[in-house]
Amino acid sequence: MNMKATLTKLSNQAKTHPEVGIFIVLIGIALLFEILGWIFVGQSFLFNQKRLIIIILQVSIIGIIAVGVTQVIISAGIDLSGGSLVGLAAMVAASMAQDADYAKAMYPSLTGLPVIIPVLAGILVGVVAGCINGGIISLTGIPPFIATLGMLVVARAVATWYTEGHPIFMLSDGYTALGTGVRPVIIFITVALIFHILLKYTVYGKHTYAIGSNEEAARVAGIKIARHKVLVYSIAGGLSGLAGVVMSARATMGQAGMGIGYELDAISAAVIGGTSLFGGKGRMTGTFIGVFILGVITSGFTFLRIDSYYQEIAKGAIIITAIIFDQYRQKKRAKAQEKGA
Amino acid sequence: MQLTAETNSSKDPMSNQITSDGNSGTFRAIYRKLPTEFGIFLVFIGIGLFFEVLGWIFVGQSFLANQQRLIIMILQMAIIGIIAVGVTQVIIMAGIDLSGGSVLAFAGIVAASLAQTSEYTRAVFPSLTDLPVIIPVAVGIFIGVCAGFVNGSIIALSGIPPFIATLGMLVSARGLARWYTSGAQVSFFTDDFAVIGSGVWPVVIFLAVAFLFHILLRYTTYGKHTYAIGSNEEAARVSGINIKKHKMLVYMIAGGLYGLAGVVITSRALTAQSGAGIMYELDAISAVVIGGTSLFGGKGRITGTIIGVCILGVLTSGFIFLRIDLFYVNIVKGMLIIAVVVADTYRHKRETKKDE
Repeated sequence: MNMKATLTKLSNQAKTHPEVGIFIVLIGIALLFEILGWIFVGQSFLFNQKRLIIIILQVSIIGIIAVGVTQVIISAGIDLSGGSLVGLAAMVAASMAQDADYAKAMYPSLTGLPVIIPVLAGILVGVVAGCINGGIISLTGIPPFIATLGMLVVARAVATWYTEGHPIFMLSDGYTALGTGVRPVIIFITVALIFHILLKYTVYGKHTYAIGSNEEAARVAGIKIARHKVLVYSIAGGLSGLAGVVMSARATMGQAGMGIGYELDAISAAVIGGTSLFGGKGRMTGTFIGVFILGVITSGFTFLRIDSYYQEIAKGAIIITAIIFDQYRQKKRAKAQEKGA
Repeated sequence: MQLTAETNSSKDPMSNQITSDGNSGTFRAIYRKLPTEFGIFLVFIGIGLFFEVLGWIFVGQSFLANQQRLIIMILQMAIIGIIAVGVTQVIIMAGIDLSGGSVLAFAGIVAASLAQTSEYTRAVFPSLTDLPVIIPVAVGIFIGVCAGFVNGSIIALSGIPPFIATLGMLVSARGLARWYTSGAQVSFFTDDFAVIGSGVWPVVIFLAVAFLFHILLRYTTYGKHTYAIGSNEEAARVSGINIKKHKMLVYMIAGGLYGLAGVVITSRALTAQSGAGIMYELDAISAVVIGGTSLFGGKGRITGTIIGVCILGVLTSGFIFLRIDLFYVNIVKGMLIIAVVVADTYRHKRETKKDE
């Protein structure tokens, strides 16, 4: 009896707070790997500090990108350029973060700079790219996936061009400190918290949801659509840039190939977290849990020693499943609204 | 005849009066009288001559009058071209397909595993060597059709945006291609299989495929339904077209063409690897949109796509000829696809305004 009451209470909560449902999925997946771990590998999946730390660290890079992508998707857009911007920002930031002791630095006159300069440079590169994305999308009206697909190709090529494909080593201690220990996690949580508040309690957030729900209505209500879109894409770009900075600091090097395919992980995380690709719906808390679901799956596959090929296949399937589920939810909701009216 | 039409309309006093853009109005009047592909063809000639001039200045040799380069260029175009024929049909139907490059790799590697010669002792399937050439070819195309079926049914039945469904296939098919041989390459094919990619065969296959689908799109119910769905899905539904079935069919045909392209590229390279065809989907989409097919659907022709593929081929080949690094080529390609889609969007806006 008591059990039943708790269950109804839980399902009611899941209806009012969609995150509860996603959170239960996260716990379920983790427990599944725990059981599979005992059966096939003979050790615990969750009670392993080292593994948990690796999961959380991996999650934070994708998470920073996903925070930006969530906002773009809420505004009914899409951003495929995140992964390439990670590579580009990592290269630019790393080139300005080299140690003064290193004789073959890329810019011999720009070594030993205070940490803030490479960090800002990396974020700025992302913001500029995002501004270009947003500008093209809002001024010309071309589909966002094409504009950001172009940026995906261009940014990766520029990252390769920047050093003609060579990696950048010998970064200063102050810079690499950004990626050590739990710093990436702190940065991710801070960023998520800031944008959670911005989306939920400020005009910025209200406008983003309004444009995503009904662009025409938002225009009529006096929102400057073009300006706001440029802003949202710039923020997403800046966050991808920040992810590039954190990643290069953690790897203690900059490489043009960094972040390949991360845009897909970030989009998956946002959609798994309940953000609708049709716009107007989504929350940072959902994305937060979505990122962890992806991280647990990736880590669980590695833990069970399943080849990375299967991971790729599974990821493709997960994105599509999450989106079909979203579609189904939308249809159900539309039907329920019709009935209500 | 076209020349007289040009002079006549430029002297037309009416068109000069049309306010500020009187000149472009006249220009548009001439332009409309020519076949749509004429403008694109001029661009193609222009780019070819441009590289010819740059070639004499910077490299000191001719760009066009070099048999070897022309052959390489045409062969490269043939592979992208086969994919682009499939993508054209999907885009005419107001869809999009990003899975071309990955499906090509997966189909190519599966076909290759069934085309190995028995003289090679470490074949993927030692019992399946020396098969008649039709089997690997049919299997490669079949793999593509299956991928297209998955794309098409997800899109038609669940209604999710085509670019997401095919993006999922882009990732999954590449994963399948790696998984199939655990990343190893497949080579040592039977002579019959190697013939498909040798000489001018790829070009012949491309032209045959283009011709076939040009006819199908233009003169059959299949084509009429494709255009109808792309122009106005709701109207097509009301007039009795089975939208879901037709969408699945078009994605399956596109998938089958990617599979065919995979067979041809494998046979030409004499080896299959899981990394084949990366980014080919972008080249194909660029070629299609350059060729005048509208991303908004309902508009487009295979003849335009053929010229679009040629333009892309000349650009790539010209950059290599001028010894410009690959990352510059990618920068240009990325910007090109955006520019082309922007132009398409303006064209679309202008036409909808005119309709109103």
